[in-house]
Amino acid sequence: MIINVFGSTISALVTAACLAETGNNVTLIGQIPNELAEPGLKKLLKQQMELETLQVSESHQVNADFHIFAYGDGDCSQALKITAKLAKEKHDNSCLIIRSNFSIHIVRDIIEAAQMPIIINPDFAPEGAAIEGFQRPDRTIIGATNGDAVAKFRRLLAPFNRFRDTFIQMTPESAILTKYATNVLIATRISLMNELALVAEQMNADIEEVRQGLGSDHRIGFSYLYSGVGFGGAYLERDLERVQTLIDESGSKENLLKSVYNINQQQKELLFRKLWTHYQCDLDKKKIAIWGVSYKPNTNSIDGAPSLVMIEALLHQGCELHIFDPKLDDIFQNWMQANLNSEQRARIHTHATMYDCLDQADALCVLTEWKNFWSPNFTTLREKMAAPVILDGRNLYDKIWLQENGFTYFGVGR
Amino acid sequence: MKQLKAYQPLSAQAEQLKQTHLNSLFADNAQRFAQFHVQMPGIMLDFSKQKITKEVLDGLVSMAEEADLKQWIERLISGDELNHTEGRKAWHTALRNVSNPVQEVAEQWDKMAFIVEELHLQQMRGYSGKAITDVVNIGVGGSDLGPLMITHALEMQKLPQSPAIHFVSTLDGRQLQSLLAKLNPETTLFIVASKSFTTIDTLSLAETAKSWMKANCQSNCQSQNAIMRHFIGVSANPAKMSEWGILPQMQLAFWDWVGGRFSMWSSIGLTIAIQHGMEGFKAMLEGAHAVDEHFRNAPFKENIPALLGLIGVWNTNFLNLAGQAILPYDSRLKHFAGYLEQLVMESNGKHTQRDGTFVDYRTCPILWGEVGPNAQHAFYQLLHQGTERVMSDFILFKEGQGSDERSTFHQNLNIANCLAQSRAMMVGQQSDDPHKHYPGDQVSNTLLLTRVDAYHLGMLVAIYEHKVFTESVIWNINPFDQWGVELGKKIALSILESIDQRDASELDQSTQGILQQIWEHKT
Repeated sequence: MIINVFGSTISALVTAACLAETGNNVTLIGQIPNELAEPGLKKLLKQQMELETLQVSESHQVNADFHIFAYGDGDCSQALKITAKLAKEKHDNSCLIIRSNFSIHIVRDIIEAAQMPIIINPDFAPEGAAIEGFQRPDRTIIGATNGDAVAKFRRLLAPFNRFRDTFIQMTPESAILTKYATNVLIATRISLMNELALVAEQMNADIEEVRQGLGSDHRIGFSYLYSGVGFGGAYLERDLERVQTLIDESGSKENLLKSVYNINQQQKELLFRKLWTHYQCDLDKKKIAIWGVSYKPNTNSIDGAPSLVMIEALLHQGCELHIFDPKLDDIFQNWMQANLNSEQRARIHTHATMYDCLDQADALCVLTEWKNFWSPNFTTLREKMAAPVILDGRNLYDKIWLQENGFTYFGVGR
Repeated sequence: MKQLKAYQPLSAQAEQLKQTHLNSLFADNAQRFAQFHVQMPGIMLDFSKQKITKEVLDGLVSMAEEADLKQWIERLISGDELNHTEGRKAWHTALRNVSNPVQEVAEQWDKMAFIVEELHLQQMRGYSGKAITDVVNIGVGGSDLGPLMITHALEMQKLPQSPAIHFVSTLDGRQLQSLLAKLNPETTLFIVASKSFTTIDTLSLAETAKSWMKANCQSNCQSQNAIMRHFIGVSANPAKMSEWGILPQMQLAFWDWVGGRFSMWSSIGLTIAIQHGMEGFKAMLEGAHAVDEHFRNAPFKENIPALLGLIGVWNTNFLNLAGQAILPYDSRLKHFAGYLEQLVMESNGKHTQRDGTFVDYRTCPILWGEVGPNAQHAFYQLLHQGTERVMSDFILFKEGQGSDERSTFHQNLNIANCLAQSRAMMVGQQSDDPHKHYPGDQVSNTLLLTRVDAYHLGMLVAIYEHKVFTESVIWNINPFDQWGVELGKKIALSILESIDQRDASELDQSTQGILQQIWEHKT
């Protein structure tokens, strides 16, 4: 089939590459960035472009079977502009797929303007495992009312639906709410676990053990039961806000999601608070090493990352920061330019290896669970650091062993 | 004052005007409002409802000239040592000289700006590392009234990032206790504001706050440094602040040349800056500075504070009025009368002239007040039909709050009531029924300002400060000391000692009797 994919997001690139791989003629109306943190994506794109199943262009194919919107949610005006254009050129076969996670109002505007069959097909694949998420989805939500369009779309996705039938058809509104609700429920689980982690610390329980016990209950499951330094990423917080708005509009005055949000904000500062009390409320001139800036491993995305909150808090207390992250790039530099003054920027030093940033450090904060942080050489750590203090925001390390080996250890909920 | 040449002719005119009803002054002069109002950008003073004629005004102005008011204003603003009984300047005008700031003042602005910014960014941390959400100002008198009055008035305009602000002042500790019951110690910051940093009222409350903090914070946060993260000191006595434990970066200074009741322009105004940012705080200073320039440069006949002062002298010493009511027609100015009680009565409630001789004339009237629409249902009865003659200041703002239909209605209702009351007090009403007879003839000023904001409140307060100063010059008293409040403080300490020792034998019978009853009472 002839496919147009609009957008430059990871979701757009993955959609374009995966559909090209199954033999479609795909045009990506967007850009491929030079740096791509998403595992396997660069290679797949390159392959498909060489095979000429995928082309990147500024203009779309007018006679396409599907126009797929995978814009970032900030690009809604661009989406509306293109929609109007597509509506003018439409033919009998035209169909618009919305994979972007736009607000409900924007989606309504697009549906109104498009004047062609529309399918809401939310992207549930997590960043860092986006290709796997596209090719082997645990479910494919199809929010549509037009039977012909749905049948054709099923044919397009058939190669990814062979193991078991993952299609779930519903109305567009239900599809939109399902996407929101998924993120909101995940956020709620994480915040609840973080609240329980505080309780665990208080009553000498270990939240890791509690997690094992909880997750084995088949009604609950293991996903998103980790306590940590709060969730980041652009999406969870954004959907919390969206659903909160919808709840407000419904007339409910309850504050469940506000609490979920507030708990998360507090949680992002958890390690700061532990460090603050450890050093008796005086961090002036302390050298702090930070491992991990991205909000999760295998991405360079720092949207809403706990590390940013941590960095700001430490800078305000006069600390000098030594940072390592395997994918640290311009995104972080831009964030510093936009959010920190020159005096603060001068106190941030980025390093090429994880051990370089430890020299004379008064503490090490581990904020992202990149694979290389899981089993560091603790002897080197102790030799390099001025004080062997580890704040483990992801509960990666064996608390007892570290304590027995002379480290001061702070985890989350243990 | 009685030696001034203008005194006698004014006395003669007063005798005549006492017999003249305000009504007839208006009836005889179609230009009365035009002649007896003055303005500067942002504020207008209508004093046509005063018992004043052109001759009286001329007489009052020559009295001011004779008393060398112009020279006194120069000395005040240039920082002469006008508070001679304490050997100090009274240089509050320097605190708001935004066009040419004194270096030490500007340094404190920088220090305030840092604290304000850290609070607004939620980077000011308590012992547990959580960001501060509530700020409690502990101070009394000048360290309380100004910031309380302003932050209350501007509550609706506060910055969204401002923490909540609270005030406690009373040494009985009740205000503090009821506040502590609601606050989270982890996220509460106290501002201990005391010029001397020895005031027992403030320091006793600060000690209570400190022990509350200690009792609440976990065992790993018990260090002095952890506790003191919750205290900012504002004082002219840095040594005492340090002795009490205030951390160096948490100390804000002002100086002995700032009188307590003139101190909201200094770092004592920190809560104002927290609520409105340094920009809002500076807007207040700018409003006051504009009035300073006006006071210094405008001829007396166009000089709002000078005229208010001269009218005050006229009413007090020539028309023998002993009461001054302050009637703001905006509920946001709830604490304004309370603020003026201190500013006016602590400044001019004195009977000793600058040279140490006692005065043979009356000085400061008794001042009180209340938000106008509430006072109408309280003490206005006395103003309309009582036997005391009272001078009133009506304070009105052109803009209300909001522009929708209901807001406009309320503002019009408010304006109508303000104007109706000043008019009713002026014209009165004859009646055959003696109970419905209104004599009228009560004098008043009306101050009309543009709106309630930091700039205009700065203007309003500065106008009253300079009014007070003008009166003090005519009365030849020092408005900047307050020896009157010392005696009671001293006796309180000795009675406290008696209470501690349960021995009242050295005290007078009345005090002994009361203490005896308290001691015999078993709870």
